[in-house]
Amino acid sequence: MSEQAAHGWAVTFPDPQPFAPTEALQETLARARYEQRIPDTVLFLQHQSVVTLGRRGRTQHLLVSPDQLHKQGIDFHRAGRGGDVTYHAPGQWIVYPILRLGGLGADAHGYLHNMEEMVIRTCADFDVEAFRVPGKNGAWTEAGKIAAIGFHLKRGITLHGLSFNVDVDLAGFQLIVPCGLAGDPVCSLKQLLGDQTPSLRIVRDRLQHHFESVCGRPLIPRTPANLPV
Amino acid sequence: MNVPKDLKFTKTHEWVQLDDDSVIIGITDFAQSQLSDLTYVELPQAGDHIEAEEEVAVLESVKAASDIYAPISGTIVEVNDALDSSPELINTDPYGEGWLLRVTPDNVADLDQLLDADQYEETLPNE
Repeated sequence: MSEQAAHGWAVTFPDPQPFAPTEALQETLARARYEQRIPDTVLFLQHQSVVTLGRRGRTQHLLVSPDQLHKQGIDFHRAGRGGDVTYHAPGQWIVYPILRLGGLGADAHGYLHNMEEMVIRTCADFDVEAFRVPGKNGAWTEAGKIAAIGFHLKRGITLHGLSFNVDVDLAGFQLIVPCGLAGDPVCSLKQLLGDQTPSLRIVRDRLQHHFESVCGRPLIPRTPANLPV
Repeated sequence: MNVPKDLKFTKTHEWVQLDDDSVIIGITDFAQSQLSDLTYVELPQAGDHIEAEEEVAVLESVKAASDIYAPISGTIVEVNDALDSSPELINTDPYGEGWLLRVTPDNVADLDQLLDADQYEETLPNE
């Protein structure tokens, strides 16, 4: 473990993933992390179109029924994370860090702050000014919320994480009241940068870079097929 | 940080108080301060049997959802229904009105395995 402890793993999925299997994978990795069989591991992926509700999420924040979502090719799931309702689709980076924080929420404040910070710094790389809004989790720009954050702690291990809108069809957010915050617009890098929008691969690399510096955990690549689970 | 001397504790920041033949379980002042303002509590039901160190409840704060673990094995006799509408009681009074569960232990002697206040305090980060 000593060699593994120095470097975490960055696992990037090339294709958009369905929601349920990646939630199951996180549970498996969190158990393995708790038992110290793997180092801290960060999943980078896109989801196939899905609306998810957090534990306290209320279906009144769904503006159409799950049946209607399915008819539009959008899946629906209740997730174990904190927070309310959100929408995921291709063109949005999902970052799921499976990290040992140490103790129950031993630095839940710091962790949330760090997740916001990695998004804010990534935006700054592309000359987009992003900021925190007091009393809310996530990252905002002048045009609206660009990243949503919701996580879950199990025995001091983090699950779930953040979603960052790069070039995602924002129409999907019209089907929900994002995070239960009525009247709060959602935006993407594409909306702000148009033709200058960086590729998804470049954004992923910046997210990893800032994760490594903000969280103090250098990552080495690991392919999904090589996870010991 | 408030750590009452008459309670038993777990490394995962739950407290246990022996009260006649049952025990009351909650989370510590440190735990509530780390989670910050609680917004939602998911408790098991009276009659459920719980196993030591297994997940028994989920607390959600403005920051995160976090699992709570059973300090000992036993049968739940009562849950704190007031938390449904007032989860903030855990923040304002973690050792009193913010209690979570009342449990009849399978074996009262299991309490001896838990940490005392001094041992628990040693597990907390230095302020």
